[in-house]
Amino acid sequence: MFRARPVAVAAALASLALAATACGTGGGQQEDGGPWKPDRPIELIAPAATGGGWDTLARTSGRVLEEGGLVDEPVQVVNKPGGGGSIGWAYVAQTPDTPTRLFVTSPPISLVPLMGGSTYDHEDFTPIARLATEYMVYLVPKDSPIESWGDMVDRLEEDPRQVSIAGGSSPGSMDHVALAGAVEAAGIDPTAINYVPFDGGGEAMTQAVGGHVDAVVTGASEAAGLVESGDLRPLAVSGAERASTLPDTPTLQEEGVDFTYDIWRGVMGPPDMTDEQVAYYEDLFTDMTEEESWKKQTKALGWTDSYMGSEEFGGFLDQSSTDSAEILMKIGLIEDEEGR
Amino acid sequence: METLQQMGAGFGVAFTPENLLFVFIGVLAGTVIGILPGLGPMSAIALMIPIAFGMDPTTAIIMLAGVYYGAIFGGSTSSILLNAPGVAGTVATSFDGYPMARKGAAGKALAIAAIASFTGGTIGVVLLMLIAPALSSFAVSFGPADYFALMVLGLTAVVTLGGRNITKGLIAAVVGVMVSLVGIDSQTATLRFTFGMPELYEGVKFLIVALGLFALAEVFSMLARRGAGGADGAMTSLRLNRRDLGRIAGPTGRGSILGFFTGVLPGAGATVASFLSYSMEKRIAKDGDTFGSGNPKGVAAPEAGNNAAAVGSFVPMLTLGVPGSGTTAILLGALLVLGVTPGPMMLSDRPEMFWGLVASMYVGNIVLLVLNLPLIPLFAKVLKTPRAVLIPLVVVFCVVGVYGLSFSVFDLWLLLGFGVVGYLMRQNGFPAAPMILGLILGSMMERSMRQALQISYGDWTTFVTSPYSAALLGLTAIVLVWPLVKRLRSGPKAPAAGASPDGAQKEEDTASTP
Repeated sequence: MFRARPVAVAAALASLALAATACGTGGGQQEDGGPWKPDRPIELIAPAATGGGWDTLARTSGRVLEEGGLVDEPVQVVNKPGGGGSIGWAYVAQTPDTPTRLFVTSPPISLVPLMGGSTYDHEDFTPIARLATEYMVYLVPKDSPIESWGDMVDRLEEDPRQVSIAGGSSPGSMDHVALAGAVEAAGIDPTAINYVPFDGGGEAMTQAVGGHVDAVVTGASEAAGLVESGDLRPLAVSGAERASTLPDTPTLQEEGVDFTYDIWRGVMGPPDMTDEQVAYYEDLFTDMTEEESWKKQTKALGWTDSYMGSEEFGGFLDQSSTDSAEILMKIGLIEDEEGR
Repeated sequence: METLQQMGAGFGVAFTPENLLFVFIGVLAGTVIGILPGLGPMSAIALMIPIAFGMDPTTAIIMLAGVYYGAIFGGSTSSILLNAPGVAGTVATSFDGYPMARKGAAGKALAIAAIASFTGGTIGVVLLMLIAPALSSFAVSFGPADYFALMVLGLTAVVTLGGRNITKGLIAAVVGVMVSLVGIDSQTATLRFTFGMPELYEGVKFLIVALGLFALAEVFSMLARRGAGGADGAMTSLRLNRRDLGRIAGPTGRGSILGFFTGVLPGAGATVASFLSYSMEKRIAKDGDTFGSGNPKGVAAPEAGNNAAAVGSFVPMLTLGVPGSGTTAILLGALLVLGVTPGPMMLSDRPEMFWGLVASMYVGNIVLLVLNLPLIPLFAKVLKTPRAVLIPLVVVFCVVGVYGLSFSVFDLWLLLGFGVVGYLMRQNGFPAAPMILGLILGSMMERSMRQALQISYGDWTTFVTSPYSAALLGLTAIVLVWPLVKRLRSGPKAPAAGASPDGAQKEEDTASTP
């Protein structure tokens, strides 16, 4: 009895694992002319382990698509963790003939290749839709002498050593770029700032609450709890508009700094998808963002709707990639727009 | 008084039939997953999130939390029986648990693990209930310099874990630290020792090394012995007598408290807690030199430590809204999806959820004990399984567990590689435990040190101006110097009394430092 059980469980798990990876070679092309439809389960790749931002996005999308009855085929979320996303990207890039294999994505698709962490960048994939966005927020501990964004800029101008600023990821990643871009736009040398990378936004905020660093930059929804409790005081958000989760916090533009930074989230597919395939998915994800359950979910997660179709999304990706490259060059992390 | 009242309300929440059912489901799923080597609570919770969706958020968190501490509870079983840690937090349990099992005391080892786990979990919950709000300030009080000092103190355990040959122990620890550095350097985003392989960008996973060095290496040794090792001795009584309980009471109590506070620190977690508890006990036990060859205290201490730490890691999540470990990060994500923002406001906004969860943990721990104790004789019989069946089974578990982490064949080759390394280490008398310790603490120590220096602009005094850091480094110095002092005190008397005035001088110097 005891011996049989673990074997059965192991076998079940093994076959699950096989099922998760084996499906999806070959295409979903239809020869009979009509509009393209997937003829097999749609694979939604999260290029990260379970539990992170990409995983949440993939699972939320998958659930809304299935529960809303928007798809005839099931949607399977597949985690392809590793390499900061590059393992998952390589996986999708190498199967151009599998239009049922999509992946969820966000700014690292530009930043990681620029920093030399991936041979594939956004141009190697077919943009499908941008779905939602969120902003960065710049915060200080509640008893900090820094009163406002302008005040922090003054202090940085006087001596950048005065202000250590924590972020949740390594140099050249979202938190650092959002910080460097903002201070650069405010007229300060971004190479001089004292950016201290931590392992995730939660850890970075903990260090700020404990007073070990002077300020912190992180995602707006992540910080909402500690702002509400009064442990952290927000100085500014990086959006073009104020964040719904932090309605009293001014934008950088209101503070006189011409800079915005979006933590956008979207869906991309393998290279060389046909127009019919792209059109099918565009419609599908438009319908998804109109579902009540999607709206409820994204609100809970602190995301704002910011839908873009394939073409517009592609243009946006080109632009944001160029912007990021420019900031990374100014920080001195890369030498030219090709990255390192 | 107020706490008691709220706790009463919490039990009211936990004792609804629905919540009782789901805490049972949670801990049951957790134990089963914990028992299977390689399958951790992380993937289990991620798999159960879809089930939790649509549930009442309180019920959902009660169930998901049950999966977490249930897995830590059950994780010791395969550590003890097969030398294959079920979850990362139970690696230290195998140091004495597996030798006990090989000596025929598997039942006893499992019973000790269950009782220590239960005690650790329960003491953790009591502490959580009494001082959780106050603990949030403790959780944020540790800065990078303090984490660095804590890791340095942890690394001194190499001396106690290394066995007879300290040099070999140190070599193993250094190799462990080197392996921990593989991947993208978080402070500069530079790739280190990845040889251009994207699979190594995020570093070498702890579980792969642990399963390789312990489980696979053991399999290779079994194969090499061709069964010449013979039977594992007669099965001794499974029952613990009063004397056994008396022996493990101290280690369990100390391990629980140390473990809980380690767990409260974001980033430290159950694995660090179990190692700290183990090495502390080994150091203070009178029979410390029998640790590693099947001392029951060496099972009780880490098991109490890791279960208390699992409970402690809920403190930063519930009071600050920040994850204290990889697993609580997933729990946090699940709560967000359910529309609950855990954080400083939770205690005042949703007291029923906070206290309901705390109360459910009492229930969960009792369920775990009741669930696990009767199964022990059954589990212990696994050792009577013929080698020809057992060996392939262990290999299958390791492979499935590692593959399930990332669905990557590359990781399987790594597993095999570390299995071979582990076997060669054994053949040549290198202990595996210090390597594991170096792997766990190395990267965190390096990162904290560089963060501290980054904040202070390269000023090294930051490590002594912070009171925690200064105290921990001072403790480290005492731990390292004390054995020398002891030796010098007793040493010179026997061979040549008064022959070494230098030694006496040194003795006075070091003795006056603390």
